[in-house]
Amino acid sequence: MSGLRKYVSFARTSLEITFVYRAGFVLNMIGTIFYVVAMFYLWQTVFLGNPGSLGGFTWPEMKAYILVSFLLSSLLTWYDEWVMSQDIREGYVAVDLARPFDFQASRFARAMGPIIFEATSAVGVAAVVALVFGGAALPADPGRAALFVVSCALATIIKFGLVYCVSMTAFWTTSIEGIMVGRSAIQNIFSGALIPLVFFPDWLQSVAAVLPFQAMISTPALVYLGKLDAQSTAVAIGVQVVWAVGLLFLGRLAFRQAVKVVTIHGG
Amino acid sequence: MPPLIEAHGLTKKFRQAVKEPGLAGALKHFFVRQYRDKLAVDHIDLAIEPGESVAYLGPNGAGKSTTIKMLTGILVPSSGSLIVNGLVPYEKRQRNARNIGVVFGQRTQLWWDIPVVESFNLARDMYEIPADRYKKNLGEFTEMLGLAEFMNVPAAKISLGQRMRADLCMALLHDPRILYLDEPTIGLDIAVKDSIRKFVRARVEEYGTTVMLTTHDLGDIEDICRRIVIIDNGKIIHDGDLATLKDTYARDRVIHFQLARPAESMAAICQKLPACEVASDGLRLSVRFDRFEHAAGEIAGAVMPLVEVIDFRIDEPEVEDLIRRVYLGQLSLAPGDEPELRSAKPAVVAEA
Ligand SMILES: Nc1ncnc2c1ncn2[C@@H]1O[C@H](COP(=O)(O)OP(=O)(O)O)[C@@H](O)[C@H]1O
Ligand SMILES: [Mg+2]
Repeated sequence: MSGLRKYVSFARTSLEITFVYRAGFVLNMIGTIFYVVAMFYLWQTVFLGNPGSLGGFTWPEMKAYILVSFLLSSLLTWYDEWVMSQDIREGYVAVDLARPFDFQASRFARAMGPIIFEATSAVGVAAVVALVFGGAALPADPGRAALFVVSCALATIIKFGLVYCVSMTAFWTTSIEGIMVGRSAIQNIFSGALIPLVFFPDWLQSVAAVLPFQAMISTPALVYLGKLDAQSTAVAIGVQVVWAVGLLFLGRLAFRQAVKVVTIHGG
Repeated sequence: MPPLIEAHGLTKKFRQAVKEPGLAGALKHFFVRQYRDKLAVDHIDLAIEPGESVAYLGPNGAGKSTTIKMLTGILVPSSGSLIVNGLVPYEKRQRNARNIGVVFGQRTQLWWDIPVVESFNLARDMYEIPADRYKKNLGEFTEMLGLAEFMNVPAAKISLGQRMRADLCMALLHDPRILYLDEPTIGLDIAVKDSIRKFVRARVEEYGTTVMLTTHDLGDIEDICRRIVIIDNGKIIHDGDLATLKDTYARDRVIHFQLARPAESMAAICQKLPACEVASDGLRLSVRFDRFEHAAGEIAGAVMPLVEVIDFRIDEPEVEDLIRRVYLGQLSLAPGDEPELRSAKPAVVAEA
């Protein structure tokens, strides 16, 4: 399809810009590595006091969980959200709107461009960390590995959908930074990025279950570790699909409304 | 054939937050939001034919950019109808975008972090420009606009003048039928302004591109535009061609003579040219005349026998002056009105 070509171009250009800002990328990476290592020591201590398993996780499984969480957090960084909301706030959307492409699709392409690079570096780092800490659990079979990849892809689309929706608020408010920080705090808790959701009290687990965040990290991690039976896996991935489609749609709606009702800022 | 751009009663109303000054005002606004409506564009009618070049003028805040944003499909009008090249721009935003090129003087379309040429390549894919045409256009534009020296420099590192030239190139790579320029020469030096004007004029003359231009720079108008539309406070207060505006409201011409010796017989000159205003100052003599009553040659013919003329030149009225008078309300531009400009004192320079 020739209509796709411009989006491929967007993705490529965006990847190129990641390389321009390689220092930022590397620093960000180093920051997350420190974080992962800290998490490893923390959980190691916990497991030393509770040999065997904790909340259904063995130590090798827990290590895998942390690394999967790290991998998914490395994809689509805050940068996309920031750039998008800045573009809206500064009125650069006007320039985009005068050109022949779909706004959401172009932002999606721009977010996806660097992803192969982000993923390969994150997988590399994860492998090294795993080796240093004496290995981590691997998917039981190729089928599970494939499901994991599918689940990660969906998780990334959901993350984009959410980031896009949050950026849209820049049309209405100038306090976008606050909203971004809020999103990231809530996401860290309810996605299972900090602690697997099974460690939550029941009521908090029920809250997490109805939010999109768990589909961003918890679901792929549980699929990876085989914590879900065949039926639950199907349901979990189905829920991911629903969130992905829903959030993308909501973002489109917000954008259409923004263009209609809110005015484009500036000159 | 219908006009290329046709607007009827086109209106854009903005809701502006009203904030009282100071902390108390900010606090109050936090709890009780107050808004008032601002009619940025107020029921304008506009018809632009293919190939026309229109200067869209008006003081700051008159509604020029808002109009352009509606024509380009960026903003949705509050009311009124608008058709551009057979499409309603905000409904068929992407299809409309294929037919147009837009340059915003204050906003670049170039990608900040990558070499300029890569922004062009992106435009190629975006507009699906066939490879051979892209190559031809890029080659031509590079030459005409002198882009070669910074083609491989990221947009963040080039000067404003270079940026504007690159932006103009990018806006035209896909050979749009319509080109919108919103203050394209703002802040540029004469040489760059010149190359931009030449380039745009060539597009108009050779390709019949329809141009709509907003500017505060009157050089832009005289170089590029035939027709002038003036908007003030959201309303169109003048729409007509530049020549007519000049003919109607700027009929005066002044011939300046440089003399070998001071004139002896001022009275004789005045007598020969009763309808003219004659002034002399040492070796200079100037005659102000209505160009519909006298030809410049007549004036020269009358003066030459009486004094020894070394040199002379004719001053045309400045468009700037004209438009300033329109802004200041010194001119009534309703059709059929008698021009009153000749009696008007030269306007004080006002912030346009
Ligand atoms: N996004 C906006 N929100 C509120 N008011 C706006 C907005 N954009 C423009 N305006 C107002 O509309 C009027 C016309 O603005 P504009 O079209 O930018 O003028 P010009 O381009 O002629 O200088 C101004 O009074 C301006 O303050
Ligand atoms: Mg403007």
